[in-house]
Amino acid sequence: MDFGTGAALPVSKPPLARQFNPYTSNGGTILALSGEDFSLVASDTRLSERFRIHTRDQPKTYKLTDNVVLGCCGFHGDVLTLNKLLAARIKMYKHQHDHEISCSSLAQMLSTILYSRRFFPFYTYNILIGLDEQGKGCVYSFDPVGSYERETYRAGGTGASMLQPLLDNQIGFKHQNIPEQDRPELTADRAIALVRDVFIGAAERDINTGDGLHMQLVTKDGIKTLDRFPLRKD
Amino acid sequence: MFLTRSEYDRGVNTFSPEGRLFQVEYAIEAIKLGSTALGIRTDQGVVLAVEKRVTSCLMEPSSLEKITQLDGHVACAFSGLTADARMLVDKARIESQNHWFAYNEPMKVESITQAISNLALKFSEDNEDDDEMSMSRPFGVALLVAGVDKDGARLYHLDPSGTYIHFDAKAIGSGSEGAQTSLQEIYKGDLSMDQITVHALQILKQVMEDKLNSVNVEVVQVQLDGVCKRLTQEQLQTYIEEISK
Amino acid sequence: MSILEYNGSAIIAMIGKHCVAIASDKRLGIQAQTISTDFRKVFEVNSGLFLGLPGLATDVSTVERTLQYRLNLLQLRESRLLTPRSFMYMVSSLLYERRFGPYFVEPVIAGLDQESYQPFIATMDLIGCPMEKNDFVVSGTCSEQMYGMCESLWKPNLEPLELFEIISQALLNSVDRDALSGWGGIVHVVEKDRVTTKHLRARMD
Repeated sequence: MDFGTGAALPVSKPPLARQFNPYTSNGGTILALSGEDFSLVASDTRLSERFRIHTRDQPKTYKLTDNVVLGCCGFHGDVLTLNKLLAARIKMYKHQHDHEISCSSLAQMLSTILYSRRFFPFYTYNILIGLDEQGKGCVYSFDPVGSYERETYRAGGTGASMLQPLLDNQIGFKHQNIPEQDRPELTADRAIALVRDVFIGAAERDINTGDGLHMQLVTKDGIKTLDRFPLRKD
Repeated sequence: MFLTRSEYDRGVNTFSPEGRLFQVEYAIEAIKLGSTALGIRTDQGVVLAVEKRVTSCLMEPSSLEKITQLDGHVACAFSGLTADARMLVDKARIESQNHWFAYNEPMKVESITQAISNLALKFSEDNEDDDEMSMSRPFGVALLVAGVDKDGARLYHLDPSGTYIHFDAKAIGSGSEGAQTSLQEIYKGDLSMDQITVHALQILKQVMEDKLNSVNVEVVQVQLDGVCKRLTQEQLQTYIEEISK
Repeated sequence: MSILEYNGSAIIAMIGKHCVAIASDKRLGIQAQTISTDFRKVFEVNSGLFLGLPGLATDVSTVERTLQYRLNLLQLRESRLLTPRSFMYMVSSLLYERRFGPYFVEPVIAGLDQESYQPFIATMDLIGCPMEKNDFVVSGTCSEQMYGMCESLWKPNLEPLELFEIISQALLNSVDRDALSGWGGIVHVVEKDRVTTKHLRARMD
């Protein structure tokens, strides 16, 4: 047998397969927290793709009903489609049942919508805020395929991993050894101040987060949009 | 009288020149052959009561069931063709569970009734281009849908034309005319569950051909907390003794 | 999964007023499986000079022992202590020797200069590109979480006790949001005349 002298065989190259990738990440960070009589959702206003910035003015919170707001980021195309679908479903519910859909029902509906796309998911991170049946603030967080739970605070999007441990510490009082009854109640003012602080941190380190901070506050009086707070633009 | 209708009562989807759908009207007539059923609603809850026609001593009365549950918080009594009622009840149960699955909340009583009404109207003679099976004639059954939701205790009457109306008290079936008059006489908004149960049995007793006993009636109470309770034979016996005093 | 995340780790170093602190978790795992809850990844290579080595555990040992070897030899030959900055370059050049077959560690260096008592912290990538900082450095599997914590908690001129509290809070809350690190922590605070070492109790899951 001869292994050494053989000339290279003419090998034809297999055709290069090109696959269309239906998803991109458009960055953005969302954050929601709730207190006794309010809930708050915040997002940065940068819309980006890899190292490019599409716009510095795209808040990622979406008003769904008179007291429910959705924080939604990930792939902006899916964000828009999902919100169109939700708006239509909310109107259909109202016409069919003759009353406005509640926050908890909306959460379940969003979960089934997301799960209906289990094998071609909406690339979206969702956090729903509003008031529950008792008038308490509520936050529902979702994964892209519809797993959800009610929480008191949650961060989502590209900067989530930077915000979440700080919220654990400052709102969840993790590692602080303060007895339950001695913990100060979360007020809207403290929540807003805290949100600003953590977003400054996220804008510092996450290139897809920055430009401006958009906040919406839900109370029994409805939804209030707070003044835009500037973040790093670089 | 029927001669004048001869040409227009054949098709289920043909109006007569006077603007009537005779097959639907005949279906409504069919209800009047059914056993009497009645429902009373107050702020405390709803009571449904139905007579059972035990036509033979060899018949097992417990197998005749004319009040059935649609969901945890909703029950329904029917009069007319039992088999037709089964189809509507099935539909209502599925719709109610779908609603719970999609929205994580109990479906409103009116919405359940609306869902049944949608099916009640889905009859036509040509099913060829229809994917799902549909009826070739109107359903020969009327329903009393009783339940409790965020608006409180509700009672709806649904007839074969798909029309549904919210009632305080309503009777259907063969004895319905007499029963409805009696209901109007006794009805007050502030009656208790116990009182409306007694009234329901009293009125049923008046209009029934057979003598009322604990075997040939069926009573279900829907309480304000959304629990549906079917009265046992012993409980019925106590009520019957009370009204025969 | 990157080989840097195979064993799991988290290390932070911070500068305070005339002091520095370095903190690390204690977990050694094989991916999701925890092997040890008392694994050392921060080493006092000289008095008041610490080296933190997050990354592949086998390389942690090798790099630590190689560096100690070279440091001892240098001390014997020249009978002098290395400044933190010189030590950083020593680490950097060791890593760059393996430019195309690197050690999978991203070291953190923290210490006080033995003469000027200037605090010094630095970190580098796995092939030895050094980065000196004057606030905080983080390295390990939950670096994003640690960046978030430090960015909000750190402020200039922290006293040793405050520095200990802040570095501990930053570490504990960060590792709680990371499955690969945690299981207890250790903190060293270096001051002019002493080193304080404290062990942190954390959730063990």
